[in-house]
Amino acid sequence: MNQATPKLQALARDLIVHETLGRTLSEFDAATVFQVIERLRAHLVNLMGTGGFQALLARALALASVEVLWLSKIHVNAAGTFEGLETAHREVNPAEFLKGRIAVLAHLLGLLEALIGLDLTERLVAEIWPELRSTISLSADSEVQSDAAK
Amino acid sequence: MTQPNDNLKTTGSAETLNGPAKVAIRGLLTGVSGLDDILGGGIPEFSLTIVGGTPGSGKTTLAHQIAFANATPNRPVLYFTILGEPVVKMLRYQQQFAFFDTAKIGSDVRFINLSDVVMDRDLNAVLDEIMKQVTAANAGIVVVDSFRSLARKALSEVGEAEVQSFVHRLSAFLTSSQVTTFLVGEYSDGEIEENSLFTIVDGIIWLSQVAERNSVLRKLQVVKLRGQATVPGLHTVRIGYDGLQAFSRSLGLMGNKPRPAERRQLSTGIPELDNMLGGGIHEGDSLLIAGPSGTGKSALATQFIADGLRHGEPGIMAIFEERPEGYTERAEAFGLNLRAGEEKGTLEILYLRPLDLSVDETMFAILDAIKRVRAKRLVIDSLVGFEMALAPGFRADFRESLYRMIGALTGAGITILSTVEVEDNFSSLQFSHYAISFLTDDIIRLRYVEIDGQLRKVLVVIKMRGGNHSKDIREYVISDRGVVVIEPRRTDYIGLSTGIPYRSGPRRAQEDEPPPEAKVAE
Repeated sequence: MNQATPKLQALARDLIVHETLGRTLSEFDAATVFQVIERLRAHLVNLMGTGGFQALLARALALASVEVLWLSKIHVNAAGTFEGLETAHREVNPAEFLKGRIAVLAHLLGLLEALIGLDLTERLVAEIWPELRSTISLSADSEVQSDAAK
Repeated sequence: MTQPNDNLKTTGSAETLNGPAKVAIRGLLTGVSGLDDILGGGIPEFSLTIVGGTPGSGKTTLAHQIAFANATPNRPVLYFTILGEPVVKMLRYQQQFAFFDTAKIGSDVRFINLSDVVMDRDLNAVLDEIMKQVTAANAGIVVVDSFRSLARKALSEVGEAEVQSFVHRLSAFLTSSQVTTFLVGEYSDGEIEENSLFTIVDGIIWLSQVAERNSVLRKLQVVKLRGQATVPGLHTVRIGYDGLQAFSRSLGLMGNKPRPAERRQLSTGIPELDNMLGGGIHEGDSLLIAGPSGTGKSALATQFIADGLRHGEPGIMAIFEERPEGYTERAEAFGLNLRAGEEKGTLEILYLRPLDLSVDETMFAILDAIKRVRAKRLVIDSLVGFEMALAPGFRADFRESLYRMIGALTGAGITILSTVEVEDNFSSLQFSHYAISFLTDDIIRLRYVEIDGQLRKVLVVIKMRGGNHSKDIREYVISDRGVVVIEPRRTDYIGLSTGIPYRSGPRRAQEDEPPPEAKVAE
């Protein structure tokens, strides 16, 4: 079951680009590469507790690992943070590393959409990144419009 | 800082005639249809209420419904979840209800998970976190779900006195902060007496569900609610797309204006029957038409309603057996136009036949229609069909609820004609197998009798409270004018009431009846 639709992958990429604005990928250390997920984490832990978030992130990682193989080398600990990231960061080339980041985030958003619906997922993301509110839209209509505009 | 809230109803009085001004307790309207009436005007502002009951009885849905009905950006609702249903699931399922407004999530309604604090720290930390969040958000309503899980965890680590102290401090802080609080939890009936929490709180709303045969009954009881005159007893609850809907045992009829002392007599639409009734049915009476199938009970009911429409009296026909088209077509065959009344909004024919209705829901459907058209006349055709339309578990309450509804409606001056099917036996005259005659002021009995080789119909007024009536047994026919009473009192037969009379006088000459014509298919 692939919940990371192209629309979600595009949003994931936009969020990552937004968070890393002004810096290049090489400037990131392992602790900051999943900054978008960290920001989501703060909100989601408040909503569902550490255990709830840990379970959700672990599921997203498991789904993304099928698409990006290096992700199978890391795992989510009980606190809901990644372990094994530094090693992976050293071993994986930047393009592949970015692909993994997008995949995990897209699946995390996909899981949220599947569980609480499109509307609430959009609202949650807009609450964390209010400056992107006007560009966040995951609905099918917006996808059609977006495709037509290309 | 308190912000004005439109969703409040003042139930207390700020002033007394001969004393100092007393505090006015305002009630938070719950957003649950029928519940505010049961609560005596809503939930008292700044109170602490337990929403308790068995699993699946609708506690969380009720809490959400109240939350969404009252949440504002200035006084948001903080929904604290603790070791109960995960928020993700809550959001997933609750958004299926119409009251769930996704636009309010995160701003007007905020979910905060306290599970980690509860698991990793103590009650003081939980209280500190709630106080911090409430103060920061200027919350108007706080929900703690499940409070039972919190208390159970705390009890396993500290004594009951600690938990009691926690509730006391929580209550004091939230009331002082002008917050109305709901503690949601699964409790069993026995705990109300044993658990000191139930003594501390201001209100207890108890939800339950009981399976009976193939149906499930949901019930709500306001066990206590300080400062409010609640409606006692168990009230039926239904959970549907709109959330919870409560049906008050009082049917919302408390405080209806009494019927006038001077009562008119209303025509039945059958002049000769009016004469038998001493001029017609007294306004505000409940009339029962009892008779076997085919004796014209529905025809008589149709004429009663049509006569009301002719005299500017709106009416409701609550029918449980025949379809509405059958009524309008029969009326047209009698030269009566019910459709015009329906089009003008002075008549509603309610076809109520689903087999899982609760008695109170049905009563509410009738009462709503009465309010809509400002009905003066009501037909219930038939009581047997009405009872059959109910889910089996509700039938035990049928007579009690019917009694309350008929009492309240006739008390308000609405005239009711009910029909009931009675099987004729040919040895005696039963009024009804159904012990409902106590509901009625007047009873008319229809029956078949065998006369001169024909099965004819006779009627007799059995009872008429507060008026003289004819004692005659009269023959009637159903013609193209409806029910028509045709014969004067028959003195040449004895035993008409048994259905098989014998002749005591000479046989009268009469013409042979022509054979019936075949119906032409349309």
